[in-house]
Amino acid sequence: MSDVKIDSLDIKILRMLQGDARKPFQEIAETAKVSTDTIKNRYQTMMKKGLIKGTTIVIDPKEIDQNHIVSIGISVTNPYAEQVLTSVKKITGMFAVTRAVGRYDIEAIAILRDIEQISTVKNTIADFPQVQNVDIEIWVDKPLLCPKNFEFQEDHQ
Amino acid sequence: MKLDHIDITILEMLKKDARISLREIARLLKVSPDTISNRVEKLTQQGIILSSTVVVDPSKIGYSFITRFGVNVKPAYATQVLEKIIKIPSVIIASKVVGSYDLVAVSVVKNFEHLCTLRDTILGMPYVEQVDLGMWIQTMEICPHYFLI
Repeated sequence: MSDVKIDSLDIKILRMLQGDARKPFQEIAETAKVSTDTIKNRYQTMMKKGLIKGTTIVIDPKEIDQNHIVSIGISVTNPYAEQVLTSVKKITGMFAVTRAVGRYDIEAIAILRDIEQISTVKNTIADFPQVQNVDIEIWVDKPLLCPKNFEFQEDHQ
Repeated sequence: MKLDHIDITILEMLKKDARISLREIARLLKVSPDTISNRVEKLTQQGIILSSTVVVDPSKIGYSFITRFGVNVKPAYATQVLEKIIKIPSVIIASKVVGSYDLVAVSVVKNFEHLCTLRDTILGMPYVEQVDLGMWIQTMEICPHYFLI
C-alpha cells in the first residue's frame, strides 16, 4: 500500500469536493484563504498521485427505468470460488464482484431492471454447479451516501 | 420520469467528470448553456441527480480493504439505525434492504482493529440485533460511479 501524503489543505479541498464536486476552485480558495492557483495545483497533484480518481455525480437508479440495486451473497464449494467469480463477473448488470471472507465466498452488487431480472440473475448463479447457495438483498428506499466518505488523516510522519 | 437525449447526455458527461463546464456540454449538444443549466437544475430537483462527489482511491490513504455489513434491527427501527450508520465516516454507502438483513452498509476499513471497532459501534446502536460481516478481498475500489446506469 502506497500512502499519499496529504496535509490539512488537501483534506479541506477533498472535504469540500466530496459534498459538491462542482464547487468552483475560487470558492474553495476563499474558504481556505489561499489563492485559486494553489487549489488548482493541489487538485492536480492529488490527481497525478492517483489519490483523486475523478469526480462524478450520484444518480438515483430508481428514478430512471425503475432500477433496483441488489447485493448478492454466494456460497461456493471449495476451491471453485475463482472460477465462479469469473463467470459471475460476466453477468449483465454486475458492477462490483469480489471474493469475500465471512458468511459468503463471493459478494456482488448489481443494478437490475425488475424483479424478473433479479430472479433470472439469481437462477443463473444458482445454476453454476459449484454454487451451493445464493442470497439476495434488494435495496429499498434511496441508498444513502456517507456525507464524509473516508476519514482523511494528515500525514503524521 | 421521461428523459430525452439531452438529459441522458448531460448525465453521461457528468458521470465521467462532474466538474465539466456546462458550456462544454452545451457546445457538444448544440444548445444554449442556459438550457443545460436548466436541465441540470431540473434533474437535481427531481432527485435523479442525488449529489456529486470526488472519487478517492481508498488504498492511497491507508485503507486496506472493504467490508460489507449486514445488519438486523428490531422491526420498524431500520430508518433510525440507518441514519446513524451513514454518519460513520468510513461508510461509503448504506441502504435499507429486503432479504436476510434489514440494512446493508459498505465501508472502507484500515485494519482488523478498525473492523472490530466498526462492528462494535454498529452493534452498540440501540435496536440493532445482529451484525454480519463480509470482508471483500481482491477489490479495493468501489466508487459512486458504479451506482450509475
